[in-house]
Amino acid sequence: MKTKLVLNFNPESSNLPITHHLIAEHGLLVNILRAEIDEVGGKMVIEVSGKADSIRKGIDYLKDASVGVRPIKEGVRRDDEACTHCGACISICPTNALSLDPKTRKVLFTEEKCVACGVCIDACPPRAMEILI
Amino acid sequence: MTKPNRVSSGKGKTYGEIKARASEGNAMVMTAMEFKKFVKANGVKKAAKEVDIVTTGTFGAMCSSGAYFNLGHSDPPIKIQRAWMDGVPAYAGIAAVDLYLGATELDESNNMMHGGAHVIEDLVRGRAVRLKATARSTDCYPLKEIDTYVSLKTMNQAVMMNVRNCYQNYGAASNSSGKTLYTYMGKLLPELGNATYSSAGELSPLLNDPYYRTIGIGTRIFLGGGEGFVAWEGTQFNPGVARTPRGVPKRPAGSLAVIGDLNQMSSDFVKGLTFTRYGTSLGVGMGVPIPILDEDMASACAVTDDKIFTAIFDYSQQRRSRPVLKEVSYAELNSGEVSIKGKRVPTSPLSSQYKAMEITKILKKRILDGSFAVTEPVQRLPLDKSLKTLDVRSEKEAMK
Repeated sequence: MKTKLVLNFNPESSNLPITHHLIAEHGLLVNILRAEIDEVGGKMVIEVSGKADSIRKGIDYLKDASVGVRPIKEGVRRDDEACTHCGACISICPTNALSLDPKTRKVLFTEEKCVACGVCIDACPPRAMEILI
Repeated sequence: MTKPNRVSSGKGKTYGEIKARASEGNAMVMTAMEFKKFVKANGVKKAAKEVDIVTTGTFGAMCSSGAYFNLGHSDPPIKIQRAWMDGVPAYAGIAAVDLYLGATELDESNNMMHGGAHVIEDLVRGRAVRLKATARSTDCYPLKEIDTYVSLKTMNQAVMMNVRNCYQNYGAASNSSGKTLYTYMGKLLPELGNATYSSAGELSPLLNDPYYRTIGIGTRIFLGGGEGFVAWEGTQFNPGVARTPRGVPKRPAGSLAVIGDLNQMSSDFVKGLTFTRYGTSLGVGMGVPIPILDEDMASACAVTDDKIFTAIFDYSQQRRSRPVLKEVSYAELNSGEVSIKGKRVPTSPLSSQYKAMEITKILKKRILDGSFAVTEPVQRLPLDKSLKTLDVRSEKEAMK
């Protein structure tokens, strides 16, 4: 199974080799989607794949290490009323989560493909895209 | 410039015949999409004979847009000198209580995110807008300032008046530099990371009437969801650019100045837009019915995206004339990817082809149910205009 997690670090937990631990100790595949760090800690968005039991154990490990863990179902949301289907977003989306339906010429948003990189947010002229993490 | 390529015209139809059929509900009306398919299957001759009207449409960011308002007089009266609508400055130098609000005028307190375009959309949505105004007191207009709310319900007139809309073709954009550029053509990724383009191509009104035979001053149009009119040639009207053998311009050419009542409009087709680090613009939906007078018009309206070309310009050059990276057809641009210098470059249309198609369908429906009457232009648009530039010059040079 696959799940996306938002991890919040305080300055102490920022120094822990947590991705190594998730990979080596729990056999998880870790894909880092976003990472930022500043003077008060940091935030990371990761996608982990592996057995459900391993993911649960990995999350327990993170919590024990004082890392804030929040699973996310969606990272970016589209306001369908605001979207004009102009397509400004489709050529900058690195995962093709945003694409143009060749027939209706509507912009399709495939949330499963979205890695919440946020590139589309400021590229959307009617400001229909919102990042939730 | 090249002359229109005349195909043998046959007898054709008159505006009177087309209008009469439309008013009786007997006109054969097709959307641009339907018409192109019809011509492909049946040929131009049959199309010219059987089809009366083709509806075209476009929806895109049209920066040279705005609206004027008459606010009604206050008591005591005021001759407004400076005015702000929801924090966005409006031009007040037209007598006492008339204002013009431009789409790209920016909110003075907001980081280029909110502007006149958003205020216009809010008004169209029926919202109230905060009006602040100041003035020099005069004997006839003593009031010095006012702080109040206005909406379409409180105003005498609220009229969209756009000096340059509906461009006949437009250049595409890409970026060969090493950094992301934020432009009115959207976010351009470094190293030719993407390309954007903004014409609705084969659906776009002026690309279906390349020599402005039926679209002229006085033409009734669909504007922002309501009814509007072509008021004049659009600014920067430049019909003399290179054209294909069939007369379709290969560069930005004609444009339209349009006018229409804001009260009739809908936020589906009037949308405040923000282009990061460029500012605001207004998304405007426009539709124009094209009467199929003869085979020439049928042939013009049969044009498809593989026969319409534009250039991809390199926006990394911050100059008036940017280098051309490549000539492409709209069919290539619409495929989602073009090749530039051996690199596969993903493309984004900035104009909503979905909304353009919606507009052609709505316009067709309105013509068929008799709520929209097709018109003959009062005057043709000029074919002999060329584009001038703004250069630093002396007083004498400016008068030459």
